[in-house]
Amino acid sequence: MIEALIKSFVAAARSLGFNFSFLASAYERGMWLDGIRTTLELAAVTIPASLAAGLVLVLALRSPWYWLAGPSRAFIELTRSTPTLVQLDCAFLALNMLVSAALGGAEHNPLTPFFWCVLVIALHIGAFHAEALRAGVEAVPEPTREAARALGFGRAQVLWRIELPIAFRVALPALVNNLVNLIKLTAIGSAIAVGDITYASIMIWTQHDNVVELMLFILLLFGALNFIVSRAGRWLEARVRIPGHGV
Amino acid sequence: MRIGEHAARWSLCALAWLAALSLLDASLSQARADATLDKVKTRGVIVAGVILSGPPYGFIDPSTHQQVGFNLDLAEEIAHQLGVKLETVTVTPPNRVPFLQQGKVDFLLANMQWTEERAEILTFVPTPYEQSGGAAVVRKASGIKSWADLKGKPVCVSQGSNYTAPLAETYGALPKGYPSQSESLLALKGGNCVAAVHTGATVKLMVADHPDEWKDYEVPFDDELIPSDSVIWLRKGETDTAARLDGIMKDLYRSGWLVETARKNKLAVSSYVLALEAKLKAAP
Repeated sequence: MIEALIKSFVAAARSLGFNFSFLASAYERGMWLDGIRTTLELAAVTIPASLAAGLVLVLALRSPWYWLAGPSRAFIELTRSTPTLVQLDCAFLALNMLVSAALGGAEHNPLTPFFWCVLVIALHIGAFHAEALRAGVEAVPEPTREAARALGFGRAQVLWRIELPIAFRVALPALVNNLVNLIKLTAIGSAIAVGDITYASIMIWTQHDNVVELMLFILLLFGALNFIVSRAGRWLEARVRIPGHGV
Repeated sequence: MRIGEHAARWSLCALAWLAALSLLDASLSQARADATLDKVKTRGVIVAGVILSGPPYGFIDPSTHQQVGFNLDLAEEIAHQLGVKLETVTVTPPNRVPFLQQGKVDFLLANMQWTEERAEILTFVPTPYEQSGGAAVVRKASGIKSWADLKGKPVCVSQGSNYTAPLAETYGALPKGYPSQSESLLALKGGNCVAAVHTGATVKLMVADHPDEWKDYEVPFDDELIPSDSVIWLRKGETDTAARLDGIMKDLYRSGWLVETARKNKLAVSSYVLALEAKLKAAP
């Protein structure tokens, strides 16, 4: 039944001049469907990981201890000013090799390409999140802070209960913007054989020379994913809006 | 009501895009009557798409910064025989076919083997310039002695390698595609796969020529994976050009140029090529 449907789709596409013959091969179809799933998984794991990284970085940045704030600032500057692809190659082809050597051979190394991809993207986007959150924290009006202190809030309490909730709301459009970038960035996993949709498509189109067909699908998939992310962002903005604060 | 209208408008828009794209595709293919030979003669230049994936086929000589290798020699000789100058454009597996179809190059000498599917969308020169298959580089202590030993194990290949499907489907290996051969070999050294499978001539030469760098590695068995003909590819329907280049290829075999040049580039000449040479020499 499904096989017959696929066959008629492939034939219909062919009559329009599009080559989707790879769908008829179980191996290539499997790789392609796996690619779609892997892209979704990458997005689902990396989004919360990047937000956590951003939160940790901004907390370190705002801390009164210079030995915490200094390295955090240095990390943010280094991370956001070097290409993600270079970081990924460095992490996977160099750092991972060192890890393998330290553990006495690659067979003892549990770190997968998927792990390195998530780590590098989450930290990269996390640096941007931290800067967006910093802007949010700095936008908190001084009288608000004073009022909180007058009510007896300690430094950490002011940060956790007053500054961060307001900062989050102010930073939300920038955070969502970063997440849109994050979704697109997952495609670099293809450089270390993570098996996302871009990787699967490259593996297929180099055999069938049907670049246009697969490229159209990749554009549609990422377009749809980011449509969902930006819509969710808008919904959240409306949801957490403080009446009278901002516009 | 409004949602229905929206949906209708969106699908119309999408349909219009699809129609525009297929028209574009059709017009591109129709403009490709066999004009290449005329074009080449009036310009006095033929443009070859070559791949620079490493010795012996094509690479950049570190001392002279020139493109060298068997592909370059063959392209140069073809231009010479046609009485025109050669220009080269470096191509990669994902862009080589679009470059050819869009007229950025006149022909492809890009380690591209004959397959039925390619023959449907492109024209090729029937006389191949080589027959090659895949060979596996493994760590000496790995215990891998045949293709069957790769079952269930990660194997590094280049993205777009012809060996991906047979490795997975015939031998049950888990191919991991890296952007190029150099990343694939780095991943092998990093322990991310048990073997790296690339064109036999390339890896055998690499292991033999760089004994220090590759002392812990070997190509443990000789039978190559899916040996197939490497041919010159042309735009669909360019049969005149194909016939002209085929004549040149046959002459290069008969005069001994092809085998000689392969040897000069340290390209291990396959028995298939030697047999083809003998056959063409015997029956001119």
